[in-house]
Amino acid sequence: MNCQKFETVVSELARGQMMAAELRGEALAHSDACDDCALRLRDEQMLTRGLQSLAAEMDSLEAPAMIEANVLMAFRARKEVVAAPVPQRRLPSAYWLVAVAAMLLIAISVFVFRWTNRPVADPREAIRQEQPQEKPKVVENPAPQLVQDVVAPDDDVVPAPPKPRRNRFASLSRPVNNQVANHVTNEIATDFIPLSYMNAASLQDGGQIVRVQLPRSALVNFGLPVNMDRYNEKVKADVLFGVDGTARAIRFVQ
Amino acid sequence: MNLKNDLSDTELLRSMLAGDDEALTLLYRRRQAGVYRFALQMSGSKPIAEDVTQEVFLFLMREGHVFDPTRGSLSAFLFGVARNFVLRRLRVEQLLAPLNDDSDEELPSLHATADLCPLEDLTRAETIESVRRAVLSLPAKYREVVVLCELQDVSYGETAEILGCAIGTVRSRLHRARALLLAKLRPVGEFEEQAGSASVKSARCFA
Repeated sequence: MNCQKFETVVSELARGQMMAAELRGEALAHSDACDDCALRLRDEQMLTRGLQSLAAEMDSLEAPAMIEANVLMAFRARKEVVAAPVPQRRLPSAYWLVAVAAMLLIAISVFVFRWTNRPVADPREAIRQEQPQEKPKVVENPAPQLVQDVVAPDDDVVPAPPKPRRNRFASLSRPVNNQVANHVTNEIATDFIPLSYMNAASLQDGGQIVRVQLPRSALVNFGLPVNMDRYNEKVKADVLFGVDGTARAIRFVQ
Repeated sequence: MNLKNDLSDTELLRSMLAGDDEALTLLYRRRQAGVYRFALQMSGSKPIAEDVTQEVFLFLMREGHVFDPTRGSLSAFLFGVARNFVLRRLRVEQLLAPLNDDSDEELPSLHATADLCPLEDLTRAETIESVRRAVLSLPAKYREVVVLCELQDVSYGETAEILGCAIGTVRSRLHRARALLLAKLRPVGEFEEQAGSASVKSARCFA
């Protein structure tokens, strides 16, 4: 054996690792003959003893008991979590609840929207709904009653049927001969003819339509043709009053 | 619990994964010391060693099913897990940087005197401390083979499994690590003198 080969086995030799007896004998024989290799082997043996001393010194070391307690506690906590029944059936029911709640919310929203956009409350509307519809009475007084008390309507005045708010001004742009909503008969009406300065904005606060009867000659005042054969007959008209009681517009009904 | 003392690590692990507290306790008490010492010898820090020991067994709780008994022992598996945790911690704390050369001067020398057996002149405590510090000053890849093969008395084969390398690599790293340890434990002046006489050393007889 030479020093180079001795170098390859000196660590194993110093550590007492298992090796072939022949190789071990050759290595020991070489260290006896070579001072450098003997010193090398001694250094390795000293290092081995130092490492063994360190290992023996630390052999009694253990993790603190606190670590075991922590691990056990974590294990038990984990076991409880795993063992706890998973509420899988709750998930779909929760979705159902959310869906039902959403539908209720939508329904309530639609109801509130329609409630806020309902037609303006008319005290006579309730009365009219309670009482059956009657035919309009003929006004004995030939004088036109353009202004009527909205709060206490005269018996001679036949209130017009209520109209939805959104359709209140639609009739302004309707063509002539629009169908007037009537519970009894189908009527044909002209468009509303302004009686004073008015625009759509002036009627935003609401108003009231009152059915009146006028002499047929009144048609002339509004530029409408008059059938001279029926000149003495009355003609029905709807007068639109503003909230201030002023007659705003009129339309003639047949 | 006495009956379970006879169970192997693998059987205890299986029971533990099934929710058996006693199996965990037995397995912990059987393997915690080795894991703790390995982490301590690798890091030189008790807090890190404690944290790593705890993390290793928490990992075993969570991922114990990944252990394959056909690929090695549970002990080697735990050492491998501990190694990863230690290296991660050391990387975080930037303790992997090699110590300065100045620190080597503080190490008591194995050759404190001109005597042929200087190690015997040192007290045992000094020797142990010097060796401990020398081991800690090694680069990680050499330190881990020294810790496993020399301090934990793990075989080359198991060390190769733990480190994920060939047995030959373990041998060569250990050989190199011991040479580094000797160089660190040797007095600076003598080490430089021997380094300067490298040609003389290389001229050792090859007959």
